[in-house]
Amino acid sequence: MAIDAANPVPPVRPRPAGEAQIGAHVPPELVRRTGMPFGEDFNAGPHAYMAALHQTQPPIFYDVSPMCNAWQLIKHEDALFALRHPEIFGNEGGSPFPRDHDDYFYLLPVEIDPPHHRKYRNIVDPLFSPQGVLKLEGKIRKLANDLIDEVIDKGECEFTTDFGRPLPVSVFLDLMGLPQDKRDTFVQWAINLLHTQDRALMVETMNLVTGYLKQVIAEKQANPDDGVISRIAHAEVDGRPMAPKEIFGFVFFLFIGGLDTVFAVLNNIWLWMAENPDRRQEIIGRPDDIDKVVEELLRRWGVTFSGRSVLQDFEMRGVQMKAGDRITCLLPACNFDPDVFPDPLKVDFDRPRKTILAFTVGVHSCMGAHLARLEIKIALQEWLKRIPDFRVKPGAVIEYKPGAVIGPESVPLVW
Amino acid sequence: MPRVIYIEHDGTRHEVDVPVGENVMRGALYNDLPGIVGECGGACSCATCHCYVDAAWADKVLPPISETERELLEGAAAAVRPESRLSCQIAVSPELDGLIVHLPEHQF
Repeated sequence: MAIDAANPVPPVRPRPAGEAQIGAHVPPELVRRTGMPFGEDFNAGPHAYMAALHQTQPPIFYDVSPMCNAWQLIKHEDALFALRHPEIFGNEGGSPFPRDHDDYFYLLPVEIDPPHHRKYRNIVDPLFSPQGVLKLEGKIRKLANDLIDEVIDKGECEFTTDFGRPLPVSVFLDLMGLPQDKRDTFVQWAINLLHTQDRALMVETMNLVTGYLKQVIAEKQANPDDGVISRIAHAEVDGRPMAPKEIFGFVFFLFIGGLDTVFAVLNNIWLWMAENPDRRQEIIGRPDDIDKVVEELLRRWGVTFSGRSVLQDFEMRGVQMKAGDRITCLLPACNFDPDVFPDPLKVDFDRPRKTILAFTVGVHSCMGAHLARLEIKIALQEWLKRIPDFRVKPGAVIEYKPGAVIGPESVPLVW
Repeated sequence: MPRVIYIEHDGTRHEVDVPVGENVMRGALYNDLPGIVGECGGACSCATCHCYVDAAWADKVLPPISETERELLEGAAAAVRPESRLSCQIAVSPELDGLIVHLPEHQF
């Protein structure tokens, strides 16, 4: 079906959810109610939980939840296939954000499948290419050191709010052309959209975000600057200016994508380093291998999932999927597939190079991946240079933030 | 602006002007050419922008192949040949004006 992003319409197939909407084609022996990503078992240790799925569950199972019923893919091979075949596993309606059906918009470019997808990516890809993000290196290093300056003499910090959040979010706001002084508000909005099962709160937050971004877009249209929002607001596709719905959907999607993810990755990595001084020393002792280090840490500490809609009846590993079904690629679980990454929970910087799924793959692979890699690399280099020894504050209890971006709620550190 | 010639597996020929400093992978993506995916965006961390450099260019000065690129090429979907490269690793320069690359049937 051709999608016209300038004139979006709500998806024709509603998202199946709950006990009443388990399709007749779903074999009862494959039905599970795991509670991911909100259940207690899951949040007791999300990464270990997802690694154990390879022992506790069949390779494809059907998870029933009040938010969405979906086939769960945990094999590396299956996720690569699904994510690389948008003609079978498409993105229309793949995203759970509640939208007003009378003022509907698509999330661009993620909900647009080929061939139209590429023209939107072309607008921003040069900024997010490896060379594009390198222009930000000096700024990111300075910001990292400014944040370290704030805490180094105190001998302690709460990592997530003192470093993990402000580093990537500040970089992102600069890149977008958004004000730094609203940083905490933006992050709270992202949390309300991504870490709740409260539909009313999601809708209320959507309204706040929508109103705010529409105002920002209007300002950028009147007063262009060199930020990403302005670039999108003035971009053309197919030789015409983008429609208001296209501009809004694009800006909204980047806004949501940029606030929460690197933050969660950093929090996971710093908790692990605090608990593993010998591995921290290994990173410090191998400065020339920093790119390998970052890649392996991204494999080990993936933070999110990737959903798709089944567009045509399709059989995978003997499991019959029907058009209208949903799938979720449990990306961290796929990064723990023991057939591809033996001893998967072990952090091993010398693993043979394999495709990791931290950023998904295929046409919709994360456009911020290079920025994320650069931020993580700089964060490791600058922090370990100045605070090489640190540990979790005695008595601190680590709890995971429930929801679709996986990371500890707080990481109190001392040194 | 240097011109790069992409020849699809079925022989379809595309001539594209690619700015100096861009790479051969992006030249294809920006012009919607089929045959190159580039799913990692040019980080030398997937192998979905595989191409074969035309024999006429074999002795020309292309950017050298890194150890990482060589490792990744081992995992490429289509047959790997001596003239195989990842097109994201070929930066376009004035000397490469007229470069011909052949695209494999599959990238994954």
